[in-house]
Amino acid sequence: MEELHLPPIDYAAIAPLLLVFGAGCVGVLVEAFVPRAWRYRVQVPLLLAGLVAALIALISVADKRVSTAGGALAIDGPALFLQGGLVALGIVSVLLIAERRVERGGAFVAQASVVAGTDSDRRQSSQPGATEVYPLTAFALGGMMLFCAANDLVTMFVALEVFSLPLYLLCALARRRRLLSQEASVKYFLLGAFSSAFFLYGVALLYGFAGTMSFTGLREAAAEAGSEDTLLFLGIAMLSVGLLFKAAMVPFHVWTPDVYQGAPTPVTGMMAACTKLAAFGGILRVFTVGFADINLDWEPILIAVAIATMLVGAVMAVTQTDIKRLLAYSSIANAGYVFTGVLALSEEGVAGTMFYLVAYGFTVLAAFAVVTLVRDADGEATHLSRWAGLGRRSPLFAGLFTVLMLAFAGIPLTSGFTSKFAVFSAALGADQVTLVIVGLISSAVLAFPYLRVVVLMYLSEPAEDTPTVSLPGVFTSLALVIGLVATIGLGVVPGPVLELAEQASSFIG
Amino acid sequence: MADVTTGEQIVFWILAPVALGGAIGMVAARNAVHSALFLVCTMLSLGVFYVVQAGAFIGVVQVIVYTGAIMMLFLFVLMLVGRDASDSLIEVLRGQRMAAIVLGIGFAGLTATGLARGLGEVETEGLEAVNAVGNVPAIAAELFTHYVFAFEITSALLITAALGAMVLAHIERRKGERLTQRERSRARFAPGNYPAPKAGPGVFATSDSVATPALLPDRTIAERSLTDVVRIRELTAAEARPKGTDRR
Repeated sequence: MEELHLPPIDYAAIAPLLLVFGAGCVGVLVEAFVPRAWRYRVQVPLLLAGLVAALIALISVADKRVSTAGGALAIDGPALFLQGGLVALGIVSVLLIAERRVERGGAFVAQASVVAGTDSDRRQSSQPGATEVYPLTAFALGGMMLFCAANDLVTMFVALEVFSLPLYLLCALARRRRLLSQEASVKYFLLGAFSSAFFLYGVALLYGFAGTMSFTGLREAAAEAGSEDTLLFLGIAMLSVGLLFKAAMVPFHVWTPDVYQGAPTPVTGMMAACTKLAAFGGILRVFTVGFADINLDWEPILIAVAIATMLVGAVMAVTQTDIKRLLAYSSIANAGYVFTGVLALSEEGVAGTMFYLVAYGFTVLAAFAVVTLVRDADGEATHLSRWAGLGRRSPLFAGLFTVLMLAFAGIPLTSGFTSKFAVFSAALGADQVTLVIVGLISSAVLAFPYLRVVVLMYLSEPAEDTPTVSLPGVFTSLALVIGLVATIGLGVVPGPVLELAEQASSFIG
Repeated sequence: MADVTTGEQIVFWILAPVALGGAIGMVAARNAVHSALFLVCTMLSLGVFYVVQAGAFIGVVQVIVYTGAIMMLFLFVLMLVGRDASDSLIEVLRGQRMAAIVLGIGFAGLTATGLARGLGEVETEGLEAVNAVGNVPAIAAELFTHYVFAFEITSALLITAALGAMVLAHIERRKGERLTQRERSRARFAPGNYPAPKAGPGVFATSDSVATPALLPDRTIAERSLTDVVRIRELTAAEARPKGTDRR
């Protein structure tokens, strides 16, 4: 028998990945060996240092375009750009997760295993939150970074599971309204496992069709097959179910509002920003590298999915009375806009999509940061009626939230406008006129709930029980400032980032 | 279907109904233990299929990991939770069960016909080539060359799973919260505490529910027979009327 040779691995190219996973592993060791009182003070700097180091490593390998580890990983332009976006958004998420000033002990429960509502649960209500969330966050972010770089279906599936499992756990760890949080986690877990099964079945069928797992191999096999092969199309369909579920596209969006509402708000922010970015990273690679040549066969169905996503997300957002559910439906509609960029199937589309994901991520994280601040005695006051008159109580935060809402609505000089412009113009360039028209209609509909919140905050009299806006701690303030600067900065001078995205828009393989 | 031997066909036609019946039985069975055993049937049949189809390694893994480890874990959990913890059969969403059955059958039909069309005339190829060095070495070669990174990164999954189990299931008692046997005994016989067990509920000809207070010899209510959980209340006429549960 011939000897096995480990394929050459370009460790410099995957250093960012290894740094994030390494931070997670060290975090687990910290949980095991560092005294409880010190864990928070060790975990937060550790994770932030890991992410910053990963960002530096990414910048230093920014010009690399290699396929490494036996072709399993493609460290190309989109992978590096998306990984950079993930790390940057991850840092902001970690800032929100680490906040302990706004709520005593942080947004996470001290011991999730204590039965909700019992005496011991009430006793732990003022104890500092679990510090296991930091290694879990590191693993989730690492998995997402791997998902964007995975160049074959097996690696992609493993990455999908690596980033999903910590998210299921994080969803269950809210300090307040614990039953709601646990319900959200169970729903997300069951549906997520179901969608992973679809993904895996799709992988099996595609392997049966092509005899290879790599996207380049799939493309070559698909180009020869013509439009007759059932295995190929069943495989693409199943694979899409798994991917569209993670990106929360209609009709696989049903979990989104419940999970976004139940999960601790910092985790919701992370899911809306980072998970969405990672999911679209995978979608971009699958459809642009794997199946771009046979696009006529699958495009009509996915166009229908995109249209349904944009319309359902926007219309449902109008009817919401809870700010977290409103943002959840808005994130569904936004997934539809991002998808128009994917369906352009051009380098311009890839660049627009990536720009949109990063810009949207910063805005949505800042929006959820404001949500964590509006509180009353029972925790966050998320019902919209409680936000009435907030503009008179706390003009600064209401103003900040207004800017974010205007960015979501796509007003010029905010990142919402430039990013929508980027994806829609790419879609127009690819003659997807229907998509653009539906996108514009949907944006107009979606502007209504955003502006309703703004009107509610300014034009209503504050009631007796209007909640107060808590003074943010250093971490949340930093996250808010970063989010706001990115939202306005990417709106006024989108050039540098857009250029970076354009330079990074070609896949290898 | 060129090179399917008679033996393989016989195995298939015997075990396929077993596997399918097990899967349906698993969903349909009311009793959780029956469900688990049906699932074992399906898993074992699948294991045999894999072995028959020249995938010796995956067949053995199927039996050891799924039938052995996972199903045993499943049964342990059932034993801990209690066998008769049956599902509630209330439909929260109206018509959901029916819609699920229709859509499920529709999806299964679509996939099955699609696969039958796609695989009906496929010649198996390359099986001898990949198994030339033996099934296990061939898988090892793939695992440690092409998929080495995926293989290594699975460790992140395992660490997450272990961490998750700790976070969701382990209650850590701090010093001071943990009482020793000595402290418990002292507390039990300390002044002001009644060391004997509490009195049970009253058992009378008219009622023996847990909410019925026990009576002391002087016909006053024994306070210690009342629970905090169940409050004493009078039944309304509608609640007290016979429910017809004794008739079949």
